[in-house]
Amino acid sequence: MKEQLSRRSVLGKVIAGLVALVAAPAARATKTTVQKVLVNTSAPKGYDPTKHKWIMAVDVNRCIGCGSCADACKKENHVPEGAYYRTWIERYIIKKPKPGSLETRGEVLVDSPEGGMKGFQAVPVAKEDILHSFFVPKLCNLCAHSPCAQVCPVGATFDAPDGAVLVDPKYCIGCGFCIQACPYGCRFLNPITKTAEKCTLCYHRITRGLKPACVEVCPTQTRIFGDLKNPIPNDPIQQFFAHNRVQNLKPHLGTDPRLVYAGLDKEVR
Amino acid sequence: MSRFRLPPQIVRLILLTIGIVSSYLVARYFLTPVSFRQYGWFRGDALTELASRPTVFAGKATCEECHSEVSEKLLKHEHKNLSCEGCHGPAAAHVADPENEKEKPDKRNALACLRCHDANPSRPKSQKQIVVKEHYTIQKCTECHVPHAPLEVP
Repeated sequence: MKEQLSRRSVLGKVIAGLVALVAAPAARATKTTVQKVLVNTSAPKGYDPTKHKWIMAVDVNRCIGCGSCADACKKENHVPEGAYYRTWIERYIIKKPKPGSLETRGEVLVDSPEGGMKGFQAVPVAKEDILHSFFVPKLCNLCAHSPCAQVCPVGATFDAPDGAVLVDPKYCIGCGFCIQACPYGCRFLNPITKTAEKCTLCYHRITRGLKPACVEVCPTQTRIFGDLKNPIPNDPIQQFFAHNRVQNLKPHLGTDPRLVYAGLDKEVR
Repeated sequence: MSRFRLPPQIVRLILLTIGIVSSYLVARYFLTPVSFRQYGWFRGDALTELASRPTVFAGKATCEECHSEVSEKLLKHEHKNLSCEGCHGPAAAHVADPENEKEKPDKRNALACLRCHDANPSRPKSQKQIVVKEHYTIQKCTECHVPHAPLEVP
């Protein structure tokens, strides 16, 4: 009896071990099939996000407000028609102070007709009343501590290791928390896909070695784009930092934007 | 004293808890994407998916592969820093199918010139600007100016 029992127990253990051996790969195989159904992973490979650190700079002094960047962005990223912009241009007009007043600057007007996509033909103020005026291109500020990624309840918005702040459209539930959280107003809810959308630095372009569309078409080199981990000879981004005094937008919020501006005025938010 | 036994309702509760927790763990094992936490608290595959979108603008280097004579001329003149597609429009479709007449980038009209050169008080003074009404308006821009060599006389 004793021998039979021990044989049975040994056999039981062997069978259990075999089952475990078969079950573990089977579970893994089932998992991958489940994954294949849930997500399509047929995307091209060969780009390592840990080997890049993208950065963008804007030299406000150079911007002529032509609107090529906003137009190109809309075409490149198939941004829906209407008031949806991943990048746009703002026009700041600072009027002369009222005669006799001790103020140094008058009223400040800010506008962005159609995101500046078609330029700024109409000037809302008589030329004589303008103290000075300039254009400010706006886009994702590439925060090092991005509020949008912090508030996302499903892990759809994230800081990619290469510095881009991206949205996973398959995970986004369209709750809009990130749109409220972004202090720079850089996000919107796509009316077609009902997911949050934003500047991706043209992720599909930079991973192929191209410049973002807005940088590509900018006629005055207002927008400068570079990779901090792979500097090139005469790197425009290094030149920009060598020759300019730089600023961030809303530095008091502690978002630590990696998008830097040169030549901003105090009215710009 | 009889041996201590858990009351049956407690045993049922424990079994139920084990059942719920283990089914949660099994579901999580199968439903969490493989690439989740590859780089952080997000799906790593999202990066490759975003990267796999097709481009619309081909880039100046691509244009130069076929139109090198134009780009060499452009390099000697004021418009040397301009990208081809800034004036001519996106060209990726043209690159994919150069023979297709429909996909050929635009020969531009005066609006392409005025986009940058129309007088505007907000523009930096260094930008060359014209007031259209005061400028010679009877002819097209290109009859007096060569876009690829702005200071040359045609």
